[in-house]
Amino acid sequence: MSAPALAVRLGALELPNPILTASGTFGYGLEFAHLSDLGRLGGIVTKGLSLEPLAGNPPPRVAETRGGMLNSIGLQNIGIERFLAEVLPRLERFPARVLVNLFGYEFDDYARLAERVDPYPGIAAVELNVSCPNVRKGGIEFGHDPEVLARLVASVRRATAKPIAVKLSPNSGAPVALAEAAREGGADILSAINTVLGMSIDPWTRRPRLRTNRGGLSGPAIRPIAVRIVFDVARQVGLPVIGIGGIETVDDVVEFLLAGASAVQVGTALFRDPRAAERLVDGLAARLGELGVASVGELVGAVRPWESPK
Amino acid sequence: MIVARDAVARVVEVVPHPLPYFTLVLEVPDVYAEVTAGQFVMLETTGGLEPYLRRAFSVADVSKRGDVVVIELLAKVVGRGTRAMAELGRGTRRALLGPLGRGFDLPEAGPVALVAGGVGSAPLLLASRRLAARGVRFDFFYGGRSAADLPRRDDFARAAQAAGGRLVVATEDGSEGFRGRVTEALAAELDAGRAYRATYSCGPMPMLAALARLSAERGMPGEAALETEMGCGFGACLGCAVPHVSGRFALCCQDGPVFRLDEVRW
Ligand SMILES: Cc1cc2nc3c(=O)[nH]c(=O)nc-3n(C[C@H](O)[C@H](O)[C@H](O)COP(=O)(O)OP(=O)(O)OC[C@H]3O[C@@H](n4cnc5c(N)ncnc54)[C@H](O)[C@@H]3O)c2cc1C
Ligand SMILES: Cc1cc2nc3c(=O)[nH]c(=O)nc-3n(C[C@H](O)[C@H](O)[C@H](O)COP(=O)(O)O)c2cc1C
Ligand code: FES
Repeated sequence: MSAPALAVRLGALELPNPILTASGTFGYGLEFAHLSDLGRLGGIVTKGLSLEPLAGNPPPRVAETRGGMLNSIGLQNIGIERFLAEVLPRLERFPARVLVNLFGYEFDDYARLAERVDPYPGIAAVELNVSCPNVRKGGIEFGHDPEVLARLVASVRRATAKPIAVKLSPNSGAPVALAEAAREGGADILSAINTVLGMSIDPWTRRPRLRTNRGGLSGPAIRPIAVRIVFDVARQVGLPVIGIGGIETVDDVVEFLLAGASAVQVGTALFRDPRAAERLVDGLAARLGELGVASVGELVGAVRPWESPK
Repeated sequence: MIVARDAVARVVEVVPHPLPYFTLVLEVPDVYAEVTAGQFVMLETTGGLEPYLRRAFSVADVSKRGDVVVIELLAKVVGRGTRAMAELGRGTRRALLGPLGRGFDLPEAGPVALVAGGVGSAPLLLASRRLAARGVRFDFFYGGRSAADLPRRDDFARAAQAAGGRLVVATEDGSEGFRGRVTEALAAELDAGRAYRATYSCGPMPMLAALARLSAERGMPGEAALETEMGCGFGACLGCAVPHVSGRFALCCQDGPVFRLDEVRW
């Protein structure tokens, strides 16, 4: 058998392999340039970018918990203009596919950001982080209201021809309804999942370990939640899915593919091992051979779910 | 400056001082010979799922044993990661990322004061070595809760003496040396007419904040190595925010861990 094909296609987005890095865990990519071979990755997703630079939350911003970590970075970022002017040209020197992760606090921010990145050929796709408080709607996340989400995605659809991935939050009760709303709005891809809202308290000081009290949980602790959401969304919504949540080993990657993901993003594991994603590219090629499959596509959605008991 | 790399370090030995303090000696790549005092490493502590993330430690010393470069980490057992480190057996291999961050900008001329709180003395051991090698005179102010909280005090005393200075000990319970905080011991020396061109420090945040106030009052500049929670150690997670006088947040792992005392919003 020839070497298994790692290349994947998610709608209009073609990737050399299905291993990407998750937003907020890979900086702007350059932070890893001396530690990992960026060109070997399926793609890199930037830190969330907003119209204006953001200072982020006061410390403490991260706290380790069993099998994962909580964060409340507060979306600190250099802003879209500095990214386009200073970072993107340096990133383009590496043969890596770049997806930009975008977020806003106002409805119109998203379309304005998409319009801004649309002319840049070095950007392969946009990923919308809709787990942000909507200032006009009393802080309710854009990603929690199907009607708002559909309109939001439609506004971005009008602003860019690039593939649009919508990143789903696990914190709403109804990921399938939201995924359907994203599809109605014109999304090409669903990314699932963002961090799970959590909290941790120091028993001695009685203080929450994060300055914002609550924060987003990531790492292996959230993996089963992510697999379940990928499974539900992939079967019911009919868009390609990028699976995210606690991915660390080749078995984890295969699990997400079986659940229905066409690609995956590696996040927190990169803090533990800066080469984690690159290693998975090698590991996956070997594993496909062991499993006797010729391509990644053969595994996508190939889970054999139990039928409901009679 | 050296570009950080991810390597596999081999445990040479663990030396208790006694516990909870210990020195972990690691065989490392040759580039560490050029490490700057104040730079740090991210060490895999168990290889298992807990702790999940690596842990940050200052490089406390670097030397050659035969033709291999070894570094020393001076640490205190405070939780799972440090407990696992203290139990590492000779020959164990652990992933090690470093050297990371910006170290101290050490002077060419003294006298200066090094100011340590507890295990915060770690980066100042390497600073002592570097100053001694340059022939820069320094006094070493070493503070702790009690006499038991001054790990490797004799090494610091010897290093200071070799450079023509001395060790000044301060304990909060008065079990040794000056009774009180190390910053009060430093203030007392200044009041007694001693002058230092600058201070180089590491320790708990309240101690460094007190030193920053003293430094401002006496017009004596200084640099401090800070500790924050860290997710990654190399600028990827933005978890290590340090409130900066600019109003923005600096990153402890990249902009620091060494900051000028007047740069930080204490
Ligand atoms: C740049 C940098 C350099 C450092 N250099 C050294 C060094 O040279 N020697 C050294 O001993 N430590 C050093 N530290 C601190 C060290 O990283 C922590 O002590 C370590 O991460 C604790 O890990 P743990 O798994 O044992 O504890 P955890 O299980 O993570 O925590 C256990 C308990 O200890 C508390 N804790 C966590 N960090 C600290 C801390 N810094 N001080 C006191 N209590 C803490 C936690 O809040 C918790 O209550 C440094 C930190 C940084 C950021
Ligand atoms: C420190 C940190 C920062 C993050 N920042 C962002 C962000 O800016 N935008 C975003 O969409 N997701 C962000 N995420 C979420 C990740 O992209 C990912 O969805 C989540 O961490 C789950 O994957 P993991 O378990 O592999 O880390 C962040 C996660 C972490 C840990
Ligand atoms: S520790 Fe991750 S950015 Fe500093």
